[in-house]
Amino acid sequence: MRISSRRKAIALWVSLGVILAGVAFAVGSGWIILNWREGIKVFLGIIFFGAITAGLVLNTIFLVREIRRNEQHDSFINAVTHELKTPIASIRLYLETLQRREVDEAQRREFYQLMLVDTERLMGTVEQVLKAGAMAQRKASRQRIPIEFDSVVRDCVEIARARYHLLPEQLDYRDVRTPGSMQVLGDPEELHTAVTNLLDNAIKYSPQGVQIGVDLEMPDDERVILRVRDRGVGIPKDELKRIFRRFYRVRQRGRARVKGTGLGLFIVRAIARNHGGKVFAESEGAGKGTTVTLELPRVLAEELSKQAAAESRRTTA
Amino acid sequence: MSRVLIVEDEAHLAQGLRFNLQAEGHEAEVAGDGEDALARLVEQAEHYDAVVLDVMLPGKSGFEVAETLRKKQNYVPILMLTARGRAEDVLKGFESGADDYLPKPFELAILIARLEGLLRRSVWMKQSLAAAPAKHTSGAGVSEGTASEEPTRAEKDTFSFAGKSIDFGELELRSLGNTIHLTVMEAELLRYLVKSAGRVVSRKALLGDVWGLHEDTDTRAIDNFIVRLRRYIEDDPSRPKHLQTVRGVGYRFVAEP
Repeated sequence: MRISSRRKAIALWVSLGVILAGVAFAVGSGWIILNWREGIKVFLGIIFFGAITAGLVLNTIFLVREIRRNEQHDSFINAVTHELKTPIASIRLYLETLQRREVDEAQRREFYQLMLVDTERLMGTVEQVLKAGAMAQRKASRQRIPIEFDSVVRDCVEIARARYHLLPEQLDYRDVRTPGSMQVLGDPEELHTAVTNLLDNAIKYSPQGVQIGVDLEMPDDERVILRVRDRGVGIPKDELKRIFRRFYRVRQRGRARVKGTGLGLFIVRAIARNHGGKVFAESEGAGKGTTVTLELPRVLAEELSKQAAAESRRTTA
Repeated sequence: MSRVLIVEDEAHLAQGLRFNLQAEGHEAEVAGDGEDALARLVEQAEHYDAVVLDVMLPGKSGFEVAETLRKKQNYVPILMLTARGRAEDVLKGFESGADDYLPKPFELAILIARLEGLLRRSVWMKQSLAAAPAKHTSGAGVSEGTASEEPTRAEKDTFSFAGKSIDFGELELRSLGNTIHLTVMEAELLRYLVKSAGRVVSRKALLGDVWGLHEDTDTRAIDNFIVRLRRYIEDDPSRPKHLQTVRGVGYRFVAEP
């Protein structure tokens, strides 16, 4: 009800902007044609009407963008409301059931298990919202210590396998780097979050069965690369960049709609940037799987020792 | 024992609901999405005594499911569940054809009480359907057929005006041989307006007293209901005589203008 009435309002203002831009352009062209012999008038006309037209076009573009953001924010609020209230409703239902009814032992155990899973889900949503809030404000990671990135990735893979009950071949981890230490400078907790979010996404968007490849590469001295390949729902080409925006979610059709807040990849991107790295997605299109690549700057052991030396000099001075 | 269909995609909630309904002595089945629910209710024409319908479903939403059912003239009582508890969402639910509504997270006792309420109503409806032929030959609005079974309810719950008669118990509005089926909320709104006939009632009062929504929200959402009621009871809905708008205040019901 609200969305559709807002849509109407959008259509009005956007078309007004387009019409005004068109009128300004037409008047400007008319002016130039009428005065084309008089150099100074033509010159002033081009500048003046050009500025007005450009202003109107820009204004319309920003308007559309702002409206889109607003809509995304709305759907985010809806998604978070749902993601918070559903597990609470479930936990409450089971607690009341246990309180009210005679439940045999096996069933009781099952109910406890279900409530635990719901608690995890609730916790996950809360963490994500809090992290996204913190990420949006923080410019760079506070903590910067040398971390073996491969051990972070291995950890996350193990946890994901356990959490989603996956066989090792379903979530296949491969270390295809040249030998050498894979150290990066950063916040271990944040890197953990980033890798976990990538794995969670790959699993979540593989409704027909999980088949994920996790590759670690070290193409040169400067970079450490993590690739997460899934054979899931894929992403339309024109949305590959947008998926990293806050609240952005790919429009889904059909029955297998995946629920989420639209924060996961936004957090990954923020973490990548905080660490001086980047993240991007590739996909052959809808239904053809997705590969997300996380690139982080590598630090060499020699550099580290040099840095440590400089640090100690500074502190002693 | 009644047969209840639970339409809920969250597996944990569906399982918990089914367990509780079975513990209450009902037969409960689960449909994981709207398409599945419609397939059972419409295509296979399976009989259920009530439906517990979640709004946020994958694919077709709960609103769409309720609308489709009503369009196909399936008046199975619907109890809607949703995480969205704003007044406009609630009203949208009723507008799409739900009979009752509960925001998530709900209290188990309340859910069961509301569901039992809907089931009782469907039992009444079955009884009145069985008695219907006798009643129609007798003509007027008073339902003599059901009188032997539930005399007090049948007598109390009708109201006649200007050649029309509203049967609140059976959720029907009869005029000149025409019978319109009302949803529970339409009937409740009509009952409230009739009860305060001649007086002006504000939109906020309607929202509070009929829907139990005590919120500072856009109370215009109620206007859609009024438009629908006018279509039922007015000869010319664009020039209402019975259900008048009082500019800036609300509405007034007048039985004999």
